[in-house]
Amino acid sequence: MTKIDIQQLIDFLEESREKSSEVTLTHVMGLAEVMTGSMGEIIEHVEPEVTMELAEIGAEIARMKAEISKLRVADMRDNHIPEAGRELDAIVSSTEEATHTIMAAAEAIMAADPDDTQAYQNTVNDQVMEIFQACAFQDITGQRISKVVGTLNTIDERVSNFVERLRLKQEAHADQNAEETEDERRKRELILHGPQHAGEGVSQDEIDALLNDVKQDEIDKLFA
Amino acid sequence: MALDLQMPILVVDDYKTMIRIIRNLLKQLGFTDIDDAADGTEAYEKMKQRRYGLVISDWNMEPMTGYELLKQVRQDAALCKTPFIMVTAESKTENVIAAKKAGVNNYIVKPFNAQTLKGKIEAVFAD
Repeated sequence: MTKIDIQQLIDFLEESREKSSEVTLTHVMGLAEVMTGSMGEIIEHVEPEVTMELAEIGAEIARMKAEISKLRVADMRDNHIPEAGRELDAIVSSTEEATHTIMAAAEAIMAADPDDTQAYQNTVNDQVMEIFQACAFQDITGQRISKVVGTLNTIDERVSNFVERLRLKQEAHADQNAEETEDERRKRELILHGPQHAGEGVSQDEIDALLNDVKQDEIDKLFA
Repeated sequence: MALDLQMPILVVDDYKTMIRIIRNLLKQLGFTDIDDAADGTEAYEKMKQRRYGLVISDWNMEPMTGYELLKQVRQDAALCKTPFIMVTAESKTENVIAAKKAGVNNYIVKPFNAQTLKGKIEAVFAD
């Protein structure tokens, strides 16, 4: 390795250290690229096959860098994901507001005195109008949800393309061996699945049957 | 057996809207003494202070879930007889079985209506 090569490496490492104290994949790939270039010149004179291998590794690294840039991680992190978060916050807020308005109207009708017919009718009419107006949230919420779905599709497309081009699919099963997080452990132990989609959970009738028909002994056997 | 409409009922849910819905449904059914708590921990503290005739609890809450509350209540000699209805969106068979095993008196899956709530309360006190 020549003095120039070594200087290149030192420059690269110092530059990286100044930018950030954390070692990222980009740093490692950059270092590998510099090392590949440096080693190539030395080995070129000794073993041409190794030089070719190094050139291929260099080309692979360059290809990976190009694929990573296509992911547009910064765009996802700085634009798409925060925007989707804002849309979801707005959905929570608007549904909460609409629910409050509808419930307040219902409570006003419940509290109205039916003996005073005219006043009762006016109250019901006014509150029903409030309910109709509040239901307009559904239209806006639908549009916001469509935007979030669009964002998820964009991210899904980019990540899927990235995984495919980098030929990472065969490593997908590695996820199954990943260590369980604290949150995952809590959800498993406390049986927290969240709401089921239509047709996926058990119905109230099935729950009633389970509670009425299954004897404690039979339940205990399931946990034995 | 006629329902005691004056019995204190504790509604446990981390969503104020759901508490409000259940409160209004219970009021419509004639119940007058309704209290609420935002999670299992708060509910358990309230239960130690006051004897409730019925607990209606959600499952998925932080930090203490309704399932943990149910198990804790059943292990507490002073509270273990309190009727307990789970009202939840957790609708997998294993949830129902786990709740039954822990000693739940009835189980209502969300979304539900006033008739279902009434029916389950009546069923609990008919037992």
